Amino acid sequence: MAHETAEVVWNESITQWHYLLALKTKHAAAAAQPGQFIHVRVGPTHDPLLRRPLSVLRTDPGTGQLWVLVRVVGRGTRLLAEMEPGARLDIMGPLGRGWPEPPPQGDLILVAGGVGVAPLIFWAEVLQSSYPASHVLSIFGAAHEGELACWLELAARSDEFYVATEDGSAGEKGLAVDLLRVYLDQRRVGAVYACGPRGMLAAAARLCARASVPCYVAMEQWMGCGIGACLGCVVPAAGGGYVRVCTDGPVFRADELDWEVLVQ
Amino acid sequence: MSAERVDLRVQVGPLELPSPLLVASGTFGFGQEYAQYVDLGALGGIMTKAVTIAPREGNPGPRVWETSAGMLNSIGLQNPGLDTVIAEKLPFLIELGVPIIVNIAGETIAEYATLAQRLGEVEGLAALEVNVSCPNVDRGGMEFCREIPVLRELVAAVRDETELPLIVKLSPNVGDVVPTAEAALEGGAEVVSMINTLVGMAIDAVRRRPRLAHVTGGLSGPAVKPIALAMVWRVWRALQCPVIGMGGIFTGEDAAEFLLAGASAVAVGTASFVDPTSAQRVREELVEFCCGQGVETVRELTGSLRV
Repeated sequence: MAHETAEVVWNESITQWHYLLALKTKHAAAAAQPGQFIHVRVGPTHDPLLRRPLSVLRTDPGTGQLWVLVRVVGRGTRLLAEMEPGARLDIMGPLGRGWPEPPPQGDLILVAGGVGVAPLIFWAEVLQSSYPASHVLSIFGAAHEGELACWLELAARSDEFYVATEDGSAGEKGLAVDLLRVYLDQRRVGAVYACGPRGMLAAAARLCARASVPCYVAMEQWMGCGIGACLGCVVPAAGGGYVRVCTDGPVFRADELDWEVLVQ
Repeated sequence: MSAERVDLRVQVGPLELPSPLLVASGTFGFGQEYAQYVDLGALGGIMTKAVTIAPREGNPGPRVWETSAGMLNSIGLQNPGLDTVIAEKLPFLIELGVPIIVNIAGETIAEYATLAQRLGEVEGLAALEVNVSCPNVDRGGMEFCREIPVLRELVAAVRDETELPLIVKLSPNVGDVVPTAEAALEGGAEVVSMINTLVGMAIDAVRRRPRLAHVTGGLSGPAVKPIALAMVWRVWRALQCPVIGMGGIFTGEDAAEFLLAGASAVAVGTASFVDPTSAQRVREELVEFCCGQGVETVRELTGSLRV
């Protein structure tokens, strides 16, 4: 059963807002696939009430360790950031649908925006170990240098690594998708995998559609149950209706979603 | 006293339930999602997600927002529609062998009648729960709880179409809940369930935007429990009718409180989102509570509040 008590073994402050937590798990680390998430209960009381979905950043199935990246945005993430080693966490997971099998040919471009880097680090690691012939080109974009949490983790698992910041404090001045546009033109690209803000994902989806390159996105949404029952975490589907981020996603083919509605 | 000696069976109007612990409509889907976490066969009953005649897409997202010890939702009755529910969802549930209560919702009285007629033909259902209290739809929903004669007429129309026991799920978003319970019983329902969610709202002050795309939603969770308890107590005291109580039940003691206030059975709702095994845990805790208090049959708790 994908429901267990994990132990915090390490909690490292990476930037002013980002914390990298290592959890010791009995089941989740061994079962997690890149792109999946764990659903974490922040504490035993009723406030905060709901679990927080956190992308798996990477795992070590041998030791049962699983890493998550937390960006402090509210009370729940603040409490997670304050967890001391030894603290116990009620977690469910791994949950959701991860990144699909990569195509046999063409460069694989990973586009990370801010804290969206987490599921791409895991993906880059698996691509490197299980698909050694693949060529991974990663682009990491953020508002400024201070938001580039775990950039080294991604860089170390990529064949090529580029950075874009909106204020030019690191890498190219501009957006991650500006660089994506360049490499979609220059390279033979097999697929694009993106996780980050909605605007970035919409732009990546549009560029890829124009270049006829398959694009996959990992979506974020406020979530209730995490197992497909409450229908709280939906996003609009292409062609009408809604799909659940927790169980139909969080990874979707970009053309499964209605981007016009998503960026409204 | 040992746990095995606690008799959990309850009688809720014409409904015989193996335990007073049900799962509330809208919080448990059609059961399948929870199958890997909970022994569904040990539940006192399952109240399904609301079913409408035609499929409903539901409301745009964000649909959920956490509040202090509670949550707002504005799902908007998303469901695959009556035909799909009958063909694909109910067979799984009926196979479980626990009481299955189908929650029905419509925009007109005629729609409720049609739902009752069609579901009345399905073998193996325990009851229908008439949802006249959804706060997240533009037509129908809780509006039916705001006009007593219309509510009575609606329940009577459903009653005409089916022999199944009828539970009417009442809204807390009314001035006085007692007349709505009375109207439900006069219309021919045997049981009332309460409470549905309270209309609520959350705002992102920095962006000056509502947190939910639907602007308002329904509040549930521990935050609403005192309101739910008071409403159950008021209805029980006024009418002594069978009540299924719900609203923020997270522990066995919470469940006991609802029984003491007058409920014959209770439903776990939002707690299932926080922990999918909640219904099972609450049941075990209720048994423990009964053991500790020397209560041999859970039925004796109903309405036994000392005031």
